[in-house]
Amino acid sequence: MTPSPLVLDGLVVGAILFALGLVGILARRNLIVMFLCAELMLQGISVSLVSWSRHHGDWGGHVLVIFVLAVAACEAAVALVFVLQAFARTGRLDSAAWQSLRESNLPRTIDHELPAIDTMPLRFPKLFPAGVEPPVDQDALLEREHV
Amino acid sequence: MIASVLPAISPGTLLAAAVTSTAASLWLLLPRGQIGAAERRSRWLGGLLGLAALGCFIATGHRLGGLGEETVFLIVSLVAVISGAATVVTRSPVYSAIWFAMALAGVAGVLLVLGAQFLGVATIVVYAGAILVMFLFVLMLAAPAGLAPYDRVSNEPLLSAVAGAVLLGILSLSIGRLTAEPPLCCRMPSKAAAITGDAAPATGLPAVADMSVDLLAENHVARLGGELFGRHLIAVEVAGVLLLVALVGSIAIVSRAASADGTVAPARRAVP
Amino acid sequence: MQDIPSSTLLVLVPLLPLVGAILTVALGRTLGSRAHVPAIIGIAASAAVAVTLLFGMVRQVGVGNSGHDQQVQQVQPVEMVTTLWEWADIPNAQAAGGTTAASFSIPVALRLDPLTSTLLVIITCVGLLVAIYSIGYMHGDPGYPRFFALFSMFVFSMTMLVAASNFLLVYVFWEAVGACSYLLIGFWFTKPEAAKAAKKAFLVNRVGDFGLAVATFLLWMTYGTLNFHDTVLSDGTAVPGILGVTRLADASGYVGGAVGSAICLLLLLAACGKSAQLPLHVWLPDAMEGPTPASALIHAATMVTAGIYLIARSGPLFVACPGALTLVSIVGATTALIAALIGTVQNDLKRVLAYSTISQLGYMFASLGTGTLLGFSAAIFHLVTHAFFKALLFLGAGSVMHSMGGVIDMRRFGGLRRVMPITAVTFLVGSLALAGVAPFAGFFSKDEILASLHSRGWPDTHGEHQEAVPAGGHAMTATSLRLVSVTPDASQLAGGDRVSRLDALNQPATWRLLFWMSLVTAGLTAFYSFRAVFMTFTGPTRVPEEAGHHAHGAAGSAAHESPPVMTIPLVILAVASAVSGWWLFSTHSLATFLAATPSFTASSIASTATPPVFHWDLAIQGTLAAAAGIVVAALGHLGKRSDGPQMERFLGPLETLFANRFYFDQIYAGLIIKPLEFVATLAALIDRYLIDGTVDLVARLPLALGGLVRHLQSGLVQRYALAGVIGMLLIVLALVARAMG
Repeated sequence: MTPSPLVLDGLVVGAILFALGLVGILARRNLIVMFLCAELMLQGISVSLVSWSRHHGDWGGHVLVIFVLAVAACEAAVALVFVLQAFARTGRLDSAAWQSLRESNLPRTIDHELPAIDTMPLRFPKLFPAGVEPPVDQDALLEREHV
Repeated sequence: MIASVLPAISPGTLLAAAVTSTAASLWLLLPRGQIGAAERRSRWLGGLLGLAALGCFIATGHRLGGLGEETVFLIVSLVAVISGAATVVTRSPVYSAIWFAMALAGVAGVLLVLGAQFLGVATIVVYAGAILVMFLFVLMLAAPAGLAPYDRVSNEPLLSAVAGAVLLGILSLSIGRLTAEPPLCCRMPSKAAAITGDAAPATGLPAVADMSVDLLAENHVARLGGELFGRHLIAVEVAGVLLLVALVGSIAIVSRAASADGTVAPARRAVP
Repeated sequence: MQDIPSSTLLVLVPLLPLVGAILTVALGRTLGSRAHVPAIIGIAASAAVAVTLLFGMVRQVGVGNSGHDQQVQQVQPVEMVTTLWEWADIPNAQAAGGTTAASFSIPVALRLDPLTSTLLVIITCVGLLVAIYSIGYMHGDPGYPRFFALFSMFVFSMTMLVAASNFLLVYVFWEAVGACSYLLIGFWFTKPEAAKAAKKAFLVNRVGDFGLAVATFLLWMTYGTLNFHDTVLSDGTAVPGILGVTRLADASGYVGGAVGSAICLLLLLAACGKSAQLPLHVWLPDAMEGPTPASALIHAATMVTAGIYLIARSGPLFVACPGALTLVSIVGATTALIAALIGTVQNDLKRVLAYSTISQLGYMFASLGTGTLLGFSAAIFHLVTHAFFKALLFLGAGSVMHSMGGVIDMRRFGGLRRVMPITAVTFLVGSLALAGVAPFAGFFSKDEILASLHSRGWPDTHGEHQEAVPAGGHAMTATSLRLVSVTPDASQLAGGDRVSRLDALNQPATWRLLFWMSLVTAGLTAFYSFRAVFMTFTGPTRVPEEAGHHAHGAAGSAAHESPPVMTIPLVILAVASAVSGWWLFSTHSLATFLAATPSFTASSIASTATPPVFHWDLAIQGTLAAAAGIVVAALGHLGKRSDGPQMERFLGPLETLFANRFYFDQIYAGLIIKPLEFVATLAALIDRYLIDGTVDLVARLPLALGGLVRHLQSGLVQRYALAGVIGMLLIVLALVARAMG
């Protein structure tokens, strides 16, 4: 029995998207990019579900994708709050800033010194804080260990 | 067409080549702390390798399932996949998000082609319109000036790329085996008959093509809505509650954390 | 008292001090400075009961009725055994080399016979006097209740030891008095020397205790019982006790040869340990670190005589083995001489007395070793008189020490007779008794000892009992017993050669040598005892400055006579030391009385009985020796400053040898302690590095293995996720590989 046209193709596309998202989750250090990649994995799942729905001629896949959309919205809302909190504590969107769960006598994993970028740094529009910035202890921000 | 160009290569070899080149391409494209010419060279090489990998997958898909019969599907799926890959490998999170929007568009196209019109539109509206904007908003709130060091390096890029590629290979392999050996569920009497109202014979297998046609029939959204608010009414209510809880929860977390921390001002202070 | 059966009285003798000890322990903190009350009441009551028992026993033996001319050979054994309960009763335990089934039963039995009742009176009466003295001596000591509790416990243990009618019970209380001795030597345990001395005494005693334990095993294997008395089992079979009348009446009732000699030598080892004889004498001088009353009672008057008691009690066993018996005398006489020599150069008053004790105990051993009734009774006689005058001397030394603020070095004081006259007089009486000056107690008992040795050295001059001397006359080769047969085994035959060599010691020449050694010792005894008297009580009056701290009188007269509670026991003991010897000898009551002891009614001993004769020649020799010693001491020390140059230094290198106590401690340190320390260090090193190392290795192995993988726990969540994904992929790959064939 041969599946209907495009079912297998849809499955392959879903698999590719899922794998790409997985790689992003595993490799990227930026918390927001990690969540983008999680959304990408959800997209792959959605494509797969629709393909299976097409294969079986059943609405279940479609319905499930709708729920996936809902859950993705919830997850994004809560997760972005957490990302903001993490950023508030470390000043970074770096997943490697959180290492307190490591073995007690292991040294902190530190990135190697990166070569300077010779091009102009990218500039993006951003929101400017109002009022006067309070003084901040740079070291405390960098080295804060515990929640 | 590609299949005719590569007639002598066995599907297994093709799949292996696809997996290998995918891994290599992703590894090359992922940020690894390089700068200047080296970075550009690896990007080019990775892009080429990624294209080759895509070609291999297309060829594999042709061998395995006959991908490429629908040109539109090919185009939108290429858009989705390439944009998705760019989402993953782009250094700047802002560009990443924009690439993700692009991937969403591709996915919406794929969904449309696959007969899920409502879902395609909903993806665009909900994701690109709401969620992604939220992401960008947070990015603008929290992004440091310039390119942060942690955006220029990856966590175990080689192992991650290999793991992803191997997963992709396994998935492709199992998808390809669908043609040879249909899963158990496909031998059961399909529910499509119940959806379409056709009185299918209890023992025979209805034609799959018929069901796909059925899904693409008229009153698609109305029937989806009927399904959703008929069989899955409780789940819809639960999902609604979930959304409410997430809303309240995120507000509660933000307000409490802010009061506990005294101020959120340091968060604005970007420390590279 | 007549209404109470004497068995009950016998139980009361040890029981009352035990109750006193328990009460002292229980109420000690409450009573505080009156903690001596229960102990003294208990010991006093016990002494009264013991005296009652003694009179009853005397009446039973009939000493009063018997004149000097009565044939002592016909004395019937007198004993009374009270079995309290059965400690152990194992029917049909294998015994006697496994050939005969015999019951192993250990009755807790107390016995009363002349020997026991004599010793009970000595122990309780001297104990009572010393306890009263202790009220003054130990006054104000923080361990006051503890001292009296231990003291009572010791009296209990010692009375049980001499009253027990079973070798196992003897062993139990042998250990008990050793424990009390250990605790009293280490009474001031915060003082390092005291703790060390207690440890030394305990360890050296272990060697002797080992001998007693093995001897007990051998006795059980040989005789099939451990009881002294004859017993009747529940099934009606009579078991003759080791020292029961049945066996005593049997001329061939005791095993000689290798087994018999082994038993006797092991008993001798035990006695040497407890009675501080060569080569196990080293603990007693160090034991003077304990409180002086404890030294007086335990390490002079009673406990150290336990060895004498054991050998006297086991007399028939020894008489069956002439070699071992001779060795007893050799050990005793040698110890007496060497200890006396060491005693001549000691400057510590208590140490002089300690070596004197060792020396006098050696006398008793020498007397016991003769194996004659005269020898045994002379030893017990000397034991009694020695208990009086040595306790007196120790208490006198304690009185001096008490007044001098703890100083006991004779070179630091002198002329004390003006300061403490009562102590001086009583000490002089004790010294006269010790030196053997007529008519004081030591003279008579020492005379009897010399007589017993003389009778073995020159048997022809003592004509009538020549053939009765067990030396050659008795061929103790018979090994068959009536109820428990003893099979001569291979070891017995193999050991025969060595036993005959041991028996070869039993020559008149040996005994003559021992006699002369004892005579020289008598002179030395007189010398060192009067040297102590002269150094302490004559010469210019000097008092060490430490004495001032103890003064509770006027500031001008720091040193003072001891309180009456201390001097009254001194006076009583002085009277006893003065008259007891003459009284006991002139009436011959003690010898006649003791002859009724079951152990001494064995045919091999009873047949050696001689009519009581005062040996004028020996008395003159002994008195001359004592006079010589006193004269030399007077020449050297009378009226001179005790810290000046002493006459002993003219001995030259010999003085060094004596002062270093013949280097016994150093020899033991080199031969035993150092090798053992080396082995112990080796074992400790092996334990620390090999065994502990292995254990540590086992413990470190999981740590090391964990250390290999702990680097994976980096705390980076993405790595964890990666590991999870890789694991999932591996599982899926394995499943795929299996599915594909």
